[in-house]
Amino acid sequence: MSPSAEARPSGSACAAVLAAALGVVALALAHVLSEIAVSVKDAMQALGNVWMPGAAGIGPYSGKETVALLVWLISWAVLHVIWNRRELSVGRVGTIALVLIGIATTLTWPPITELFVHH
Amino acid sequence: MTLKGPNGVEAEPARSLWLIALVLGLIGLVVVLLTAPAEQLLGGSAEAIRGALHGTAAGLFMVTATIGVFQGYRLFVGQARSVAELQVGSVVNATLAFFTILLGNWLYIPYRASGGPRSYFLEHAPDIHKIFFEFKEFAALFTLPLAVAAAFILVSYGVSAVRRKDLSTLVAILLALVFFYFLVAFGLGAAVTKLKSV
Repeated sequence: MSPSAEARPSGSACAAVLAAALGVVALALAHVLSEIAVSVKDAMQALGNVWMPGAAGIGPYSGKETVALLVWLISWAVLHVIWNRRELSVGRVGTIALVLIGIATTLTWPPITELFVHH
Repeated sequence: MTLKGPNGVEAEPARSLWLIALVLGLIGLVVVLLTAPAEQLLGGSAEAIRGALHGTAAGLFMVTATIGVFQGYRLFVGQARSVAELQVGSVVNATLAFFTILLGNWLYIPYRASGGPRSYFLEHAPDIHKIFFEFKEFAALFTLPLAVAAAFILVSYGVSAVRRKDLSTLVAILLALVFFYFLVAFGLGAAVTKLKSV
């Protein structure tokens, strides 16, 4: 183990975990918004069609995956650059991440998602 | 707490063990391919290969996710034995999460196709698709960023991720979450497959 890793501040770990949480929240929001508005569902399909092989068969789910992937990786890169050399409270960032993951789980539970759909 | 680096005393026996496991695995694979009625094992469906590959990836992921939650527990209570073991385990865990999702996407195409299980469920038991399957497909995706975050922290921080209580707790929670979301996806996926496979 190199000395630099030994003394590494917690910022990049915080960036990794918060970005993961933002990715799953983005997935949940993309799903809920798709259920609310047909235009968003169509946009998700179009987004998946841009790059994902077999997206036509996968449906709007391909676009929701794309949104989650983009938010996760872009936010990770940005947060990493900002926080890499900073010592942050792992407990505080971890708690925020857990709350976000909890929100994402709740929003993707179908009986809850149904509440947002106009019948 | 004993922490051995990848270049420590344990490196040579570990390499020999990997070699033995690889050779045994190859022997087993050759024997199975030469003797097993693989077509009957996979089933008669045109999409049997997709189902078998996704199921195999998920089965392997079950092993690594279970090892991961156990390693996370040892990390949490301060009894982690080897940093290298944690690093390899978490990277394999994240890799299998990726391949399980990738192959799940491939299998999702015949699931959604006209006349596929989705149509069948929507006609006969819509709640199976609307609740079981839809929740499973999102829970499965949660595993990838969480597993990658755990692997990243273990690989980039090394011994610090074990010695620092805040980081070891964070990694332990991430590995537990990976196991939880995997279990949800795997359990619901197995139930859906049991009711109507592709």
